[in-house]
Amino acid sequence: MIYQLNPHNEELLEAFQQKLDIYYQLAERISGQLNTVLRSQGIALNTVEKRVKALGSLKGKLELKGDKYKTLEDITDLVGIRVITFYNDDVDKVAAIVNQLYDVDWSNSIDKRKAHEFNSFGYNSLHYVCRLHKSERPEYLQVPFEIQMRTTLQHAWSAIEHDLGYKSSIKLPFEYRRQFSRLAGLLELADEEFSRLRTTMTEYRRHLQGLVSSGRLEEVPLTEESFRSFLELKPFDRLNRRIAKVNQAEIVSAPLMSLFPILEDFGFQTLADVQHFIDDNTGDAYRLALGQLAITDIDILSEMVGPQNLCMVYSLKKGEGEEGVRHIYDRLYGPVADNTLLAKSIIDQASTMSFVPRQ
Amino acid sequence: MQTTFKEENNDYVMYFEGRLDTAVAPKVEQETAVLKECDGHNIILDCSKMEYISSSGLRIFLSILKTAKPKGSRVFIRGINDDLRQVFAMTGFTNLFEFK
Repeated sequence: MIYQLNPHNEELLEAFQQKLDIYYQLAERISGQLNTVLRSQGIALNTVEKRVKALGSLKGKLELKGDKYKTLEDITDLVGIRVITFYNDDVDKVAAIVNQLYDVDWSNSIDKRKAHEFNSFGYNSLHYVCRLHKSERPEYLQVPFEIQMRTTLQHAWSAIEHDLGYKSSIKLPFEYRRQFSRLAGLLELADEEFSRLRTTMTEYRRHLQGLVSSGRLEEVPLTEESFRSFLELKPFDRLNRRIAKVNQAEIVSAPLMSLFPILEDFGFQTLADVQHFIDDNTGDAYRLALGQLAITDIDILSEMVGPQNLCMVYSLKKGEGEEGVRHIYDRLYGPVADNTLLAKSIIDQASTMSFVPRQ
Repeated sequence: MQTTFKEENNDYVMYFEGRLDTAVAPKVEQETAVLKECDGHNIILDCSKMEYISSSGLRIFLSILKTAKPKGSRVFIRGINDDLRQVFAMTGFTNLFEFK
């Protein structure tokens, strides 16, 4: 496309091209900083996007309203960052953090969410024009950058609107504009519902954690979430410490969530079932581990050692034999051929133990 | 115990040959220090010719894992024999690592 630019705007364009490196570096730096800070604050982010204004887009802008801009610094969106959250509550949290991290130019910032009448729906996003507080690179301090903050659904609406050319020069009939508006309203409602759902789930999670820590395990269904809370009570510690004493071993932490599918396979319904499983099998699990470790001088064990022996004992007591033990290894380590060999070895170890049903 | 470091297909590969026991652990620890510069590279600990691993060896492997994980690198153990697999299983170390 050919653009008609006056000499002043041509100068601006040339200056822009000379500073492109600075813009790209700044965009990289801000998006990286936001990614790190926001995630460290526990904000669930869909993504943080960055872009430097495309040359064609800047030409179009200068042609249209070039008289507005005395210097490049008057153009506030040469560097753009977009923070896309999952929940609308988080947009305001992001904004508060942005306000702390950077100098916000309030006169050029806009909350499009508040730009609608009570009975109209459309583009919802929060735009802040910012500058760095300080930098070891003085040239960064000159450059304003725009941070757009919105939810995933707001972003979807905006992206589709853009794709369909809603803002193009063609004036859309009332019926189509109403369709867009209606969809914006629908997504606004969905955003509210997702936020409400998150709050409800957080409350439910807290309720379950309360039941777990107060020991009312029979009221807590066994789920990934509840099992994670249960693990905070360190339910396998006593057994692990007992096993470790055999060789005065050090215990190193290990991810124990991989036990969850095995416990599900065992048919446990509540955390009380899991607690009974531990209580009823600890002695035998200790003896099984002892049989393997006592003949070695290994003095380092992972936290998995106790629970994996508990699982094997439980399976052996049910009469599942080698197949059952191999299934436990498959669940823990993935289904590989070597698991058969490991299972055979456990069967040999356990063959003389009283808890194994005689054939 | 012999160790050999190679870079293969963008992975850092350390070959172990012989017995990794307490006596050789300090030497092996020094030789594996190169793996700490693994940024962006996955690590393969090739144990095809390793005959034995002691607690000190397990500690070295664990230390490699603890350095690599925060850097986004994955640690794979390749080619362990049945005896070594037994050791990893009985100590609960198997699900700390990935195996090839």
